Amino acid sequence: MSNSITHDNVTHDNVSSSVTNLAYLAVAVLSGGLFGAGLYISQMIDPLKVLRFLDFGAISQNGWDPSLALVIIGAIAVMMVSVLLTKSRSAPLFDKQFHLPALKQIDRPLIIGAVLFGIGWGMSGICPGPAITLVAFMPENLLIFLGLMFLGSFLGTYVQKWFANGDAIA
Amino acid sequence: MEYFTPVSSLIGGLMIGLASAILWVGNGRIAGISGIFGQILPPPKNPAKNSPNPIMWRVLFLVSMIIGGFIASVLLPNIGVGGFGGDAVQLIGNPLWIASAGLLVGLGTKIGNGCTSGHGVSGLARFSLRSLVAVLVFFATAAIIVAVTGIV
Repeated sequence: MSNSITHDNVTHDNVSSSVTNLAYLAVAVLSGGLFGAGLYISQMIDPLKVLRFLDFGAISQNGWDPSLALVIIGAIAVMMVSVLLTKSRSAPLFDKQFHLPALKQIDRPLIIGAVLFGIGWGMSGICPGPAITLVAFMPENLLIFLGLMFLGSFLGTYVQKWFANGDAIA
Repeated sequence: MEYFTPVSSLIGGLMIGLASAILWVGNGRIAGISGIFGQILPPPKNPAKNSPNPIMWRVLFLVSMIIGGFIASVLLPNIGVGGFGGDAVQLIGNPLWIASAGLLVGLGTKIGNGCTSGHGVSGLARFSLRSLVAVLVFFATAAIIVAVTGIV
């Protein structure tokens, strides 16, 4: 074939990019699966267990549950190793760049958002990770929580824009 | 400390850390759950440059979170204090209370750009001051709500 060289090159590129693509998606599956399993094993999918951590008033009555602190410390420790290991690298294994949040400064949306999330978390004992993994167990009223959580996230996009416009004017 | 489960909670935490590390080293992405579903919800976001499968990886990640939790519950049906199993989990409060909490969790994590995983695990692990402030604020707020409502 007269165009065999060109043809081979194209085929080769397609194959290597689809292998990278497959690895990229496999990483997402592996990471998500481990994340969900970790949420179950740590029992963070149990709202009552989370609320028993947040109930600092129970420390004096010996009824406090410090478990969540170990979950966070264990998770941060492992993640910190990977952050330090990749410090000198310019790209992850299966993408061309690391995707870091663009925002750096401590601003009003950060504080207001954290307060609103804190209220919802304190009311329910459910944060976004457990909300998703709980689908495997479908406790009563979970779909109400999930539906409103997605609605809140959707509406939040417009609140963010409103904050951005306000800051631009000010 | 009758409810304290140091072994299962530490192991679960290490797994969550490993999951976050794999996504970072492999794909250069932060395992922040509110961010991951927030990016696939409408309105459509600008897909990041040079990033393969902006929607697909997020959908697969979220579905895998559900399957991962399910598989763990089959392998370890009784862990923790008093034989915890996934099917024993209940949401707290009436439907209106649950709906209000869900709305606040979705709204707050979107406006504040992160939740317990994105700010709490990945953010603190990469020494982000922004995340430290967010974590302190939402932990303190949640603790105040629990104290005020006497929900536990």
